[in-house]
Amino acid sequence: MEANGIATVGISIEKKFTEEVKPPRTVFLKWPYGHPLGEPGAIKQQRAVLDVAFRMLETCETPGEIIEPGYAWKRHKYE
Amino acid sequence: MSKTANLKTKLRAWLYTRFPFLAHKAAAKIRPFSFENTPWAPIVKPLSEIKVSIVTTSGVHLNSDLPFNMEDETGDPSYRIVPSDADISTLTITHNYYNHSDADRDINIVFPIERMREYVDEGRIGSLANQHYGMMGHIRENHLGEYMNKWLPEVAKMMKEDSVDCALITPG
Repeated sequence: MEANGIATVGISIEKKFTEEVKPPRTVFLKWPYGHPLGEPGAIKQQRAVLDVAFRMLETCETPGEIIEPGYAWKRHKYE
Repeated sequence: MSKTANLKTKLRAWLYTRFPFLAHKAAAKIRPFSFENTPWAPIVKPLSEIKVSIVTTSGVHLNSDLPFNMEDETGDPSYRIVPSDADISTLTITHNYYNHSDADRDINIVFPIERMREYVDEGRIGSLANQHYGMMGHIRENHLGEYMNKWLPEVAKMMKEDSVDCALITPG
């Protein structure tokens, strides 16, 4: 996609794959499979992940960068 | 896939979600494809002007579409198109390799279409693409050639024709 001029930003919950595949921009969360955006109905949590991803689109200048917001699963409070 | 194999797969998917360390242990044995050089396309306009398409490998598709093939244990490399205005009640997930019971309750946790519509309404991003893409991430080596050389280029071509600036990629 990037070769076609389309910027990509991905969410990952499996760091090993991300480190090996080296996609252009990744937000990594140490969360369970099936929950890349968080918990069902948790709109603030879902938006927090998307906010990080879109911010990364603006700020990331190094291909292969991984950002880890460090939100603890079911413990982080989202404002 | 036989009934026993299907049950085993579903049990494994449940265990991986309930006990993530088991999933990471299993993932450690898989060799994903890798690139020497990461391809790169910068965003050259403000977020408030970009057009976004969602690509998910979580097995999301319209419930009127052909489900992903779960009979082939090496995966299904094809994609399904999800129109941007699809009501979420018309979406479903076909993927036996992760536990999607929570995503079945709120599809936004793997395919954040409603959040993206909010971002457009708030002017935080410019617009959504005409269509999004559902794939099934459990693809083994025998399908990689077809995936990389046929299906992904087709998706990239459609995105280009749709003037997409950014693909948001989400797993299952």
